[in-house]
Amino acid sequence: MASTSCSLLRLQPGSTGSIHRIEGMNPILQRRLADLGVAEGVIIRLKGKGPFLGPITLECNGQLFAIRRKEASMIEVNVS
Amino acid sequence: MSSIALVGNPNTGKTSLFNTLTSSYEYVGNWAGVTVEKKVGSLKNGAGKLIDLPGIYSLHPLSRDEGVAAQYLIEESPEALINIVDASQLERNLLLTLQLLEYGKPTLLGLNMIDVAKARGIHVNAEILQAHLGITVLPLVARTGKGTGQVLSILEKSSAIPPVTFKLFYGEVVEEAISSIIKELQHTPGLPTLRWVALQLLEQNPVILQFLKTRVDTSRLLTICAACQSELQIKKLALTLPQWIRSTRMDYIRSLCDAALDTTAQKPHNLTERLDSLLTHRFLGLPLFIVFMYALFKTTFDWVGGPLSDLVDGLISGPISDGTVSMLQYLGASNFTHALIVDGIIGGVGGVLVFVPQIFILFLIISFLEDSGYMARVCLLMDSTMERMGLNGKAFIPFIIGFGCNVPAIMAARSIEQPKDRMLTTLLMPLMSCSARLPVYLLFAAVFFPERQATAVLSMYVMGIVFALILCKVFSKYLFKNESSIFIIELPPYRLPQIKTLSRSTWEKGKGFLRKAGTIILAGSVIIWLMSYAGPGGFDVAMDNSFLAKFGGMIAPLLEPLGFGTWQAGSTLVPGFLAKEVVVSTMNIIYHAPDSAGLESQISQVFTPLSSISFMAFILLYIPCLATVGVIKKETASWKWTFFSMGYSVVLAYSVSLIIFQGGKLLGWS
Repeated sequence: MASTSCSLLRLQPGSTGSIHRIEGMNPILQRRLADLGVAEGVIIRLKGKGPFLGPITLECNGQLFAIRRKEASMIEVNVS
Repeated sequence: MSSIALVGNPNTGKTSLFNTLTSSYEYVGNWAGVTVEKKVGSLKNGAGKLIDLPGIYSLHPLSRDEGVAAQYLIEESPEALINIVDASQLERNLLLTLQLLEYGKPTLLGLNMIDVAKARGIHVNAEILQAHLGITVLPLVARTGKGTGQVLSILEKSSAIPPVTFKLFYGEVVEEAISSIIKELQHTPGLPTLRWVALQLLEQNPVILQFLKTRVDTSRLLTICAACQSELQIKKLALTLPQWIRSTRMDYIRSLCDAALDTTAQKPHNLTERLDSLLTHRFLGLPLFIVFMYALFKTTFDWVGGPLSDLVDGLISGPISDGTVSMLQYLGASNFTHALIVDGIIGGVGGVLVFVPQIFILFLIISFLEDSGYMARVCLLMDSTMERMGLNGKAFIPFIIGFGCNVPAIMAARSIEQPKDRMLTTLLMPLMSCSARLPVYLLFAAVFFPERQATAVLSMYVMGIVFALILCKVFSKYLFKNESSIFIIELPPYRLPQIKTLSRSTWEKGKGFLRKAGTIILAGSVIIWLMSYAGPGGFDVAMDNSFLAKFGGMIAPLLEPLGFGTWQAGSTLVPGFLAKEVVVSTMNIIYHAPDSAGLESQISQVFTPLSSISFMAFILLYIPCLATVGVIKKETASWKWTFFSMGYSVVLAYSVSLIIFQGGKLLGWS
């Protein structure tokens, strides 16, 4: 099956993708995401988008967390 | 005496377990970062000390609370560890477990929240975990206390917990580097397990490097690390050493989870999903939060708190006061003693105790927010606003705690990752209207805005938040380097707080208030009363000739433009610095009010609605109390910032009250 990679923000709320690449992110944030198990190859789900262009809610390994859109756009995912 | 440390990821229930295993009580809540300090308690069976540490994801700290935990493991040497893991989040939790096993101390694995895991259809096989990791694995529900008896009985003889034999193979390249580092460090005394030290060093953990620097010459160690990393790169195994170590661990954890976890029946968090779709809705979320807040205030001040408070008032001004008077007469007490006890102590302390119901309801509400999991969602909702102001949404957790008391709130700011954000949160905290300021609003709202008490009080809180946001923008623009803030927050599953937890945590917060009533408020009342009783002309002078009046009179002219330039108002402000509650105590003493109704009628003669708003705003903003100043100094470790926080609030309070009063007058209000 052909897979295309795009920014995490392009996912439809509720759908998942597998992380292809994380680039250009603030190192502190990237470490914290790694602590939560967000790394290349991991399946991530976009749960919802917050108010006033606010943070988006994500789910990874059953853990819910939120990060800002700007940072979320640095996560590239593969959707099949 | 042996000491055993509780270690685990944030929000996995370490403190809940700590509270059941020891007879102490520490603060619990449903968000990551509740515990920010190491706490020590004695085990119930007297087998030793238990140490509760802030939650950590790895031994490589990002925020200050995590630093506390990492530091503890490196510098002190607990006899054994209890590693608490969240059974519904096993994969993520085990990453820390592996590092703890490498630490080499006897370890127990507490498999917590098996009830949550079961409800989500996740089955964890404790036997398989036990067999693979080589340590005792105990299923637990720390919140209800299930399984904790077994932990206690194992801890009874902590020396009998078998040593850890677990060893993960990191590939030849890394293993070689590990042995060279161990060889280098062999003769250095006072180090934890050398293999663990070596691995942490290879992982570039700054805490361990700092620690080693004080003992040995680290240049050779760093050369080994660098060589190892370049070998990994040449062999195209990984880009960096930490990455390699991490992925080796993750591979192991995945295979372990495949064996020990049965997730075939896994279901999503139904309740959490449904609540989140409403509470964090992109348009409805924020309005809902405001509606909740208003409803809560309405309950606290109009529906429940008010009537209860009247009951307490009746009790103090009636039976207690009368009983004391007749007892004093029976004992033949002197006029001085009589006046001291009735006017000073009952007037001063009693005048504050009247507000106990409202304050406890406020604490109950805060405890509910903390324990339900909603708190983290509020941060999410507020982030875009906070980002525009130069801070991040996570600061809202300390802010909400600050409505109870600023002191623990400033401590809570430790879990914020970036130093700049942490500093801003600390500096702005005094603008969060704490429970000690509540009696002032309640008193004035009852006199001047009897129909709209909840609105009047709520607007004071909102005013505090608005000024905090404005100053946040100003401070972050002019005082700090313009580093952008980051935001990430874990959203724990919602849960219905247990009555037991709620009442306990409300009581613990309220206890502080009662203790204050018995100490600083009591002392303040006695001093204020003495100053009002004595004057240059001797004892028992008319109040207008007392030392208090002289002293208040010196400040009064400064307050004239603000609308409350009386010596009475002036003399409440200085003792208010000790504890804000003393403002109301002082008023009770000055106005000789037998009960709240008496005080209210006195106040309505001295203040106008406009000057009362100006006074409330001044009390809200004018200065952090003594205890808050102490904690600001401790957390910022700087007198400069401490004085800054006091200075800006005085200036702000004066300007705001001036604008309110003079502006209001221009508009023709009175």
